[in-house]
Amino acid sequence: MPFTVINSRMVEARIGPGERLYSQRGAMLAYRGEVSFTPNIQGGQGGIGSMLGRRIAGEATPLMTVEGSGTVMFGHGGHHIHVVDLTGETLYVEADRLLAFDGSLRQGTMFMGSQGGVMGMVRGQFTGQGLFTTTLQGHGSTAVMAHGGVIELPITPQRTVHVDPQAYVAHRGDVQNKLSTALGWREMVGRGSGEGFQLELSGEGTVYVQASEEKL
Amino acid sequence: MRGPGALGLPRGAPADYGRGVAQFRLQGSKVLAVDMAGDAVKAKNGAMVAYDGRMTFKKKTGGGEGLRGLVTRRLTGEQMAVMEVTGKGTCYFADRASEINLVELRGEKLYVEASNLLCTDAALRTGTTFTGLRGAAQGNGLFTTTVEGRGQAAITSDGPAVVLRVTREYPLQVDPGAYVAHTGDLKQHFQSGVNLGTFLGEGSGEAFQIRFEGEGLVYVQPSERNTLGGDL
Repeated sequence: MPFTVINSRMVEARIGPGERLYSQRGAMLAYRGEVSFTPNIQGGQGGIGSMLGRRIAGEATPLMTVEGSGTVMFGHGGHHIHVVDLTGETLYVEADRLLAFDGSLRQGTMFMGSQGGVMGMVRGQFTGQGLFTTTLQGHGSTAVMAHGGVIELPITPQRTVHVDPQAYVAHRGDVQNKLSTALGWREMVGRGSGEGFQLELSGEGTVYVQASEEKL
Repeated sequence: MRGPGALGLPRGAPADYGRGVAQFRLQGSKVLAVDMAGDAVKAKNGAMVAYDGRMTFKKKTGGGEGLRGLVTRRLTGEQMAVMEVTGKGTCYFADRASEINLVELRGEKLYVEASNLLCTDAALRTGTTFTGLRGAAQGNGLFTTTVEGRGQAAITSDGPAVVLRVTREYPLQVDPGAYVAHTGDLKQHFQSGVNLGTFLGEGSGEAFQIRFEGEGLVYVQPSERNTLGGDL
């Protein structure tokens, strides 16, 4: 059940009997038909084990389950919404940026510190992303929030993309992610260009970048 | 809204116009993409959101070059933290999700607030000028940044900016809080509509305007900064 874009800050999802949708709690704006919203204590799919995993990882955003038949409109905080359709690949996104996603997608939590060793740990601290991130895998649609519009940049093995950690939203595909630094003596004496740290994304996939350096 | 000539090459330009210099284009309305081939652009500090290829970032100080620039900056407070971006590839700039307008300069001077200037061609010269009372009323200070030369510049505005043409017959009045930038041969002065009512708390909220006379273009944003006279 793909999301229909109503405007840049609102999406609509059609839901049928037997289908299920997860969304951030409180993100429903309006609905038509017989739709029920149940708070999801576990914060998503999986059993108690997954819940504990998310709690420990700090990737537990209050979610709700949306079931029934009808259409539901979502939006949150006036943020821009970008719809990402997945066809088998994995989307890596911070839990608090996730507005809604198809129930058929597999939700997981990934330890990002393992990518890039010590630098991976440092990256989590610097970017405010922490050491864990949420993954969504399978076939279906997700709606991701960002401040300002979102642009998609393709990543190919020949074309490594560097992103400002504050402007990074999400990425998908088979992408290696590491923090690269361009620190020199200028940064040490307080004459930095403000671009001392960058996320270096290499491999095959797409990165989503927002037109702003503000967090949600 | 774009400045004149931003959509393509200027009319009558030589065939090699723009080759080898940074190419500015808009990706959506809020992201500026600059294609570079070993050349440099100046951009607001920290405005890069992404890049591919190889780029280096180096901090510069805006408001004029050399010792004179240094003194001016110290005196005027119109110092803009600028970085010089050099490299090969595409660099993407954005600033707090504000709208971006491309301005093509062909020798004329662009007057813009330092906070509204996102990125300029390295070939363009930047300086500082005194604006008088207008600056204070805009809530921006007494000095403004000028950009001069040949090349492209990107300015930001809160909401999509409109470009208004000023001719000798048709002067233009602008709310100081909504003014973003102007180019051309324009004289500006400050006018006030303060009357007794203003002091009695019955002001219309439009007590001050900047009046532009001459020939040129004025960029106006659909939003108002907090200004000194804004509440009157």
